Amino acid sequence: MIAYNFAYLDEQTKRGIRRALLKAVAIPGWQVPFASREMPLPYGWGTGGIQVTAAIIGQDDRLKVIDQGADDTTNAVAIASFFRRMTGVETTTRTAEATIIQTRHRIPEQALTEDQVIVYQVPQPEPLWKLIPERPVARRAHALNDYGMMYVKLYEDITRFGRVSSAYDHPVMVNGRVLMSPSPIPAFDNPKMDAMPALQLFGAGRERRLYAVPPYTPVRSLDFTDHPFHPGRADGTCAFCGSTSSYLDEIIIDDHGTRRFLCSDTDYCAGRIEEAERRAEEGGR
Amino acid sequence: MSLLLEARFLNKRFSNVDALDNVSLTVNRREILAIVGESGSGKSTLLATLAGLSPADSGHVLYRDAEGPHDIAAMDEMRLRRLQRTRWGYIHQNARAALRLDVTAGGNIGERLMMNGARDYGEIRETAARWLDEVEIGRERIDDLPMHFSGGMLQRLQIAATLVTNPELIFMDEPTTGLDVSVQARILDLIRTLVHRLHVAAIIVTHDLGVARLLADRTVVMQGGAIVEQGLTDQVLDDPHHPYTQLLVSSVLPS
Repeated sequence: MIAYNFAYLDEQTKRGIRRALLKAVAIPGWQVPFASREMPLPYGWGTGGIQVTAAIIGQDDRLKVIDQGADDTTNAVAIASFFRRMTGVETTTRTAEATIIQTRHRIPEQALTEDQVIVYQVPQPEPLWKLIPERPVARRAHALNDYGMMYVKLYEDITRFGRVSSAYDHPVMVNGRVLMSPSPIPAFDNPKMDAMPALQLFGAGRERRLYAVPPYTPVRSLDFTDHPFHPGRADGTCAFCGSTSSYLDEIIIDDHGTRRFLCSDTDYCAGRIEEAERRAEEGGR
Repeated sequence: MSLLLEARFLNKRFSNVDALDNVSLTVNRREILAIVGESGSGKSTLLATLAGLSPADSGHVLYRDAEGPHDIAAMDEMRLRRLQRTRWGYIHQNARAALRLDVTAGGNIGERLMMNGARDYGEIRETAARWLDEVEIGRERIDDLPMHFSGGMLQRLQIAATLVTNPELIFMDEPTTGLDVSVQARILDLIRTLVHRLHVAAIIVTHDLGVARLLADRTVVMQGGAIVEQGLTDQVLDDPHHPYTQLLVSSVLPS
């Protein structure tokens, strides 16, 4: 049996990542290059997030991993078990109990606190990539605060669809200065990033970039004054817990196209069901 | 007439060719200056240097605003970009390269406004519509994609997308070359009307003496990277002194 270092990566690599993270925290939203390593899972499955988590995790942390809001999907389960084996730290599905939350495509419904760190897995860190194909040109645009062309895309969306069409990965302005991709979280989650008490770290493994939003940093979704940003949500009720305010997944349950809505955040949903059962029990007594 | 842009002793070499050879010129506010000469005479290099797109090896380009003259080579990049996007404009020969063909006509015109901080969709759209009328494309085409436009319409769209910020100086690199003759005449007419009404100064590079004759107050003639003759357009074209200018003028086909 090969003995791995704590959290898989060797100490020098982790220090390199931490240095990059410090720089990222110092310039909110700015993409910092880092020496991304090969990880024992393919690019696109969270290699960036997993390296950030490995760099910051300690013996007394408690880790939660979610994928599209769910704790029980293959990717989330695999990454959680990877860290259990490589660090021996406890994992949890409870948002409130976790000190580090690694996520793909969602921010938990329950508000995060100052004692928590959220690590996003990022496929494409460059918000301008569809508008500026050349990376050096895009970096110049960031350096010169030259973001007018991003509004061209919003203009086109409103012109063609009557509203801003990006339902996910809607670009945000961090600290009034740096344009940032929030990673492919739904637009619904964008407002949660604004002045969040928890530290937000972003890792893009294939693109070799890290960025960060320090606690309580203003994060504003791009919009027009006469077409304000609208966090979209399916107009429905969770079939399990009855929530009318959480972000919902639409699920087709038979061959006739019958559909149901369920909370995408499984911990939030389970928590509400437990709470309802507890109340019912108390009421029945 | 007050001075707007001034070039002093510009020199630029490309390997063993003098692209610019001690070029000095001035452009006043509201004045239209034509730069004529044959292919390879350094016209486009001069225009790019004046517009701050490519630096000269030596010499200065001075731009004057209310605060006095600024050497554009010494300006920081953010400031130069802002200048190029607000007070200046650049109209390329190839409108296809300058415009976003997969973005609607309205979006193309709005881009410069949005780059300058416009954040009200309704206002941007109304301004774009007004400019489409102005360049005779018509506001009903506002949501059409430029990839479906004809060459003449593309050039009109580029003109609208450049003039929308009310610049005080525009650079034009062969704006009508590559269009057919009837379209050329109408675009020239449009440029002349707009430029005079908006009181914008312009520097036009052209190899077509007819364009210079029609639009320009003054004309400079370039050969081998140097200015060989300059003066009022009528003077230069009707009474050319330099042998090269005489050759240029005499080689225009009688119409």
